[in-house]
Amino acid sequence: MEYPGTVRELTERLRQGSYLADRGLATALLVSLSLHRPVLIEGEVGVGKTEVAKVLAGIFGRRLIRLQCYEGIDTNQALYEWDYARQMLQIRALSERQAADEQAVDRLFGPKFLLERPLLEAVRAGDQAVLLIDEVDRADDEFEAFLLEVLSDFQISIPEIGTIRAESAPAVILTSNRTRELHDALRRRCLYHWIGYPSADREIEIVLVREPGATEQLTRKVVDAVHRLRELDLAKPPGVAETIDWVRMLGFLGETDLTVQSASDTLGAVIKDRDDLELVRQNLAEITSGA
Amino acid sequence: MRAAGITVGTGDVLTYFAAMSPLDPSDLADLYWAGRTTLVSRRDDIPAYNEVFGRYFLGQGTPAAALLRLPATAAAELEAALVMPGTEPGPEQDEEQPVLGWMASDVDALKHRSFAACTPAELAALRRIMARIRLTPPRRRTRRTRAAPKGRVPDLRRTIRTAMRMHGEPADLYFRQRKMRLRPLILILDVSGSMADYSRHLLQFAHSAKQATARVEVFCFGTRLTRITRALDHRRPDSALERAASVVVDWDGGTRIGQSLDTFVRRWGRGGLCRGGVVVICSDGLDRGDPGLLAEAMERLSRLCYRIVWLNPHKGDDPHFRPSTLGMMVAAPHIDLLLSGHDLASLEQLARMLPTLS
Repeated sequence: MEYPGTVRELTERLRQGSYLADRGLATALLVSLSLHRPVLIEGEVGVGKTEVAKVLAGIFGRRLIRLQCYEGIDTNQALYEWDYARQMLQIRALSERQAADEQAVDRLFGPKFLLERPLLEAVRAGDQAVLLIDEVDRADDEFEAFLLEVLSDFQISIPEIGTIRAESAPAVILTSNRTRELHDALRRRCLYHWIGYPSADREIEIVLVREPGATEQLTRKVVDAVHRLRELDLAKPPGVAETIDWVRMLGFLGETDLTVQSASDTLGAVIKDRDDLELVRQNLAEITSGA
Repeated sequence: MRAAGITVGTGDVLTYFAAMSPLDPSDLADLYWAGRTTLVSRRDDIPAYNEVFGRYFLGQGTPAAALLRLPATAAAELEAALVMPGTEPGPEQDEEQPVLGWMASDVDALKHRSFAACTPAELAALRRIMARIRLTPPRRRTRRTRAAPKGRVPDLRRTIRTAMRMHGEPADLYFRQRKMRLRPLILILDVSGSMADYSRHLLQFAHSAKQATARVEVFCFGTRLTRITRALDHRRPDSALERAASVVVDWDGGTRIGQSLDTFVRRWGRGGLCRGGVVVICSDGLDRGDPGLLAEAMERLSRLCYRIVWLNPHKGDDPHFRPSTLGMMVAAPHIDLLLSGHDLASLEQLARMLPTLS
């Protein structure tokens, strides 16, 4: 897989894909691509952890394979599963026609009846894919142990078929929201990067890149307001995604300035919790006042 | 970095070197970021990494060292307070043997003696007994299933595999059932002033519960809240508790329960640490801070976790105990189980009632 040689090149290409990565993130991604090691990205909600994988796949023309983790996910959902219903029908059809010979039964365990799930797809695709394992903290310990095994060798053995090896490892990005402590072994296997909230200037840049129709004046006021909201100790502080949504909503409603009224109308784009909503409404004038 | 407390394996060091090859080794920023990506694996280690990097590459150091000395002295004082009488066999063991030849009634009396009133020898004996008690949290059903003789969900895979052997006739139906798992246990212990006497015994419980592979988290507070779970990772309780003592820094008396619980809810509770878990708070309810804050924190906590257990040594053996301090009155509506925790008998009662909490 051809990758850019320097951090600057990678940052530039990500920018072309409308993603502004800071130096640390670009370094982590570059090292991950060069060393063929997965990278674990942790961070606040809504700062672009999942987005970076999508953009990375887009700019290099690779397929994005996404494995969304949830509690109780196991090998059947992540790796592969046999299409039991079809196998059953096939064998019944064969036995009716008396055509159930050795070969037919062997074919029952062939690729036609194998449902490939994301990890197996990624192993087959090799470096033509970017594998995104999203919210790995929602899965449980058993899944982590199994994931570690797959990420170490990139080979999967299916008893009936054999071992499938990836000739070259895909790029792997894991994201986590820190709702649970990940196992040390998995952390050791991956490189690590933490994405925090961006600075005000940086966030303005990000919004302008993502929302080309927005005016700079409105964006600046919205970003200032969001930074003040983040200082407020809310149950769910707004992320960068919420800032972009807020600017988009204001733009859609035709507002050019952030007044108390327009903020009050569009607060749902940025505040998603009832207690927070009350707290913010009390302080709305202060939040929306200019710098 | 290892001296600063961050575990770095040899593999990580090799990775760091390998990582520098596409980057520019003479660029300080590249050195910093490559190191941070390869050597650090949790967010909490980042400040320590920054400090070590600054010292090593940029020669900064003395101000940080001076700052580090302050908490060290406070920690030493606290260590003295939290030091536990040893349980490992030592030379005094032979002398104590005849003491331990107590009759059953003596042991019983010891179990009901308040911790604050025990002599060190009695405390040692109590700890030996406590080392055998396990705190087992209640169980909950998870989303994982396992094969079971009967259940709600059919086990398609096993059914069809067996059917294959019989020309596709599903003869037996197999089922799956949801697995049970222990709920996480979170201990929040008041270690200020006189509460330290009682809380240290709960630390012993925390240690043995952790060895039992339950998910256990332990926090200490006085004027501030500190997480000491990782310090309890040792196998031997005494060294674990010493390590824990070196982490809790607040030692100026007074208690801010509301503030500490609020910190817990904001920093860890919201992150999902106690979701579906049992929270055990050990405190006497004497709060120096704002009762409104305590009320709000307790309300948020009760929404986040499964059950809240409060241990208040003032309750003693009185079954008709009514909360008299403002802190306890404010917290009372959100408490699911109120116990005393002032002597071994009540701790045994906690161990008995915990698995059955519902």
